[in-house]
Amino acid sequence: MLTTLATLATFALAQQTDTTVPVRTGARLEVSNFGGEIAVKTWSRNAVRVVADHSSRDRILVDALDQVVRVKAEGGRRGPSQVDYVITVPAWMALSLSGVYTDIKVDGAQNEVRAETVQGEVSVVGGSGNVSLKSVQGSVTLEKARGRIDLNTVNEEIRATDISGDIAVETVNGDITLTQIESANTEANTVNGDVSYDGTIKDGGRYRFTTHDGDLRVSVPEKASVTVTVSTFDGDFSACFPVQLSRKSKHRFDLTIGAGSARVELESFNGDIHLCRPGQVMKPEGDHNHEH
Amino acid sequence: MKDQWTDRLSEYLDGELAGSERTALEAHLASCGNCRATLEELRRVVGRARALDDRLPTADLWPGIAEHIGVVSLAARRARRRLSFTVPQLAAASVALALVSGGAVWLLGGRTHAPTATAVTELGRRPAPLINASAYPTDPRYAAQVAALERALQRGRSQLDTATVRIIEKNLKIIDRAIRDAQSALVADPGSAYLNLHLAQEMRRKLELLREAANLAGARS
Amino acid sequence: MELTIPGVATLRTDSDQAKRGGGDAEAADVALAASGDGSAFERLYRAHVARVHSLIRRMIGPDAADDVAQDVFVRAWTKLGTFRGDAAFGTWLHRLAVNVILARRTTIGTERVRYDDSENVLDGVAGRPPAPELSMDFEEAVGRLPDGARQVFVLHDIEGYRHEEIADMLGIVPGTSKSQLHHARMALRKHLDR
Repeated sequence: MLTTLATLATFALAQQTDTTVPVRTGARLEVSNFGGEIAVKTWSRNAVRVVADHSSRDRILVDALDQVVRVKAEGGRRGPSQVDYVITVPAWMALSLSGVYTDIKVDGAQNEVRAETVQGEVSVVGGSGNVSLKSVQGSVTLEKARGRIDLNTVNEEIRATDISGDIAVETVNGDITLTQIESANTEANTVNGDVSYDGTIKDGGRYRFTTHDGDLRVSVPEKASVTVTVSTFDGDFSACFPVQLSRKSKHRFDLTIGAGSARVELESFNGDIHLCRPGQVMKPEGDHNHEH
Repeated sequence: MKDQWTDRLSEYLDGELAGSERTALEAHLASCGNCRATLEELRRVVGRARALDDRLPTADLWPGIAEHIGVVSLAARRARRRLSFTVPQLAAASVALALVSGGAVWLLGGRTHAPTATAVTELGRRPAPLINASAYPTDPRYAAQVAALERALQRGRSQLDTATVRIIEKNLKIIDRAIRDAQSALVADPGSAYLNLHLAQEMRRKLELLREAANLAGARS
Repeated sequence: MELTIPGVATLRTDSDQAKRGGGDAEAADVALAASGDGSAFERLYRAHVARVHSLIRRMIGPDAADDVAQDVFVRAWTKLGTFRGDAAFGTWLHRLAVNVILARRTTIGTERVRYDDSENVLDGVAGRPPAPELSMDFEEAVGRLPDGARQVFVLHDIEGYRHEEIADMLGIVPGTSKSQLHHARMALRKHLDR
């Protein structure tokens, strides 16, 4: 009896909504949440299934109008809601997800992804076209995406793996780790953190990696044609292959590899700058001597 | 065993019987042992009811209440979920309140203080003003933008929770330190293209973070 | 439902306040909370939650007690501005709790049905087996009383309200309140010997 009552109490407090709506090709998903989580995964059906765990006081509204499926919670005058969503969508669907105290997870997206939160992690696998992920207090992670990639947080790290396209990454207090990158145009900067880039340097491409307090580790393939500009105020430069530096000024020097058609700018005010071959740039696991 | 008087025993016990009924019932009680026994049991029931202990709910309801009324517990929830949160004692409301007032000082930041590194550390609980246009190279457009964002942020400050205020404050400090480093380095090497660009980049970043904070504050109002 | 302060203090409010070392600190917390101080309100919550939760549990059973208690404190936060300080805060809070409980009685009944997928799951609450269980704890026995008798018993003998007030709250006549109370007490005699 007691067990049954406890179960009933759970139901009364935490309710689940499960709704499925059909969609036509080209529709987009817009989810807004306050606290909790938005998890999006994909399936082969042309339908959107919304499973939401929420307080019995809140109602989950799923609107499908004008090729946009909008999902939100209505908590009445009791204020903002805490909802955990698991939403299953066709892989072709464009996603626009936003929250405040919300973690956002996406797996298997094949179209545009826009995800924005304030205090929460953003973690996306997939995405093409414009992929824009943003948090303030929360790490941002992207895998297996192509297109115009924009990753932004303030107080946490950013990781991107297996990405092709134009990439812009910025944080203030956190590391940036970019691996398996296929890009002709990448910019990554932080103030207090390390920046690592392991990927291609394409002929004619532009790359810029900057930090104030932190180290830079950047890969340059053996056959690259690149001019590298290294700037530091109080740091050291090293490379794991022979290079010829030419000093441009007190804090800046150049090195040229091959014909030098690509441009790489490396800047660390207080930290060290290290060039290596692809596959050799990442710090060994457990090497976390950089304080934030 | 029940008689016509039994149903009045509770009223008698509670002192709610009028004088004549009360006298009649007392007369009956003198001759009815069962009635006296029942009355005694009822008296014990009433005593037992008054002695019942109150019990706390098995789960603490405060986090849920705090969430509904918009007090600190959402931040506390995040703190529990992610260890990277820097002030785990957020749950202590007094600390949170101190941070709120700290945030107010930060956002209202007096412009008369020089934002030097020593000022930041010595002021301790009272954060040094981080928004200080006068310390930067006198680009009037930059100063005006910083001032405008500062005003916007001040208007919306109450819309931000203490954790967000703290994070923005912390990161503005980080950027300010980078700006000061670049300025100091430029004193010795004013012609350095790198240092000038670096200073410009950090100043731009500060503007962007202020703009983002002002947007967050505005978006919540 | 109007929020009036009952004319008499409840049976235990005064001693509770004495236990907490007087009402001055509480009055300060009430004023702070009314001005938006969440930590002051948390102190009020901590001081009163056991009594409020116990009242709710006894009135409507344990399954929705947490939810209703939460609702009571959320409402107390929004209504603190209407608390004029001419009665103890605990008395005011309890009257608020009673109002919330009474307003929720019917909806809780329907929620139980909605979330119940088996026929007999609520036997202990709704069906109330007629055979007395001698081993039953007094508090549990209170929980097994029929709704009307239980509510009157809790409000009168545990919470200290008068029949006129109870009649007013429950929408019955004082005579019904008196006879329900008597039935409840008579039934509970069997569960005294523990």
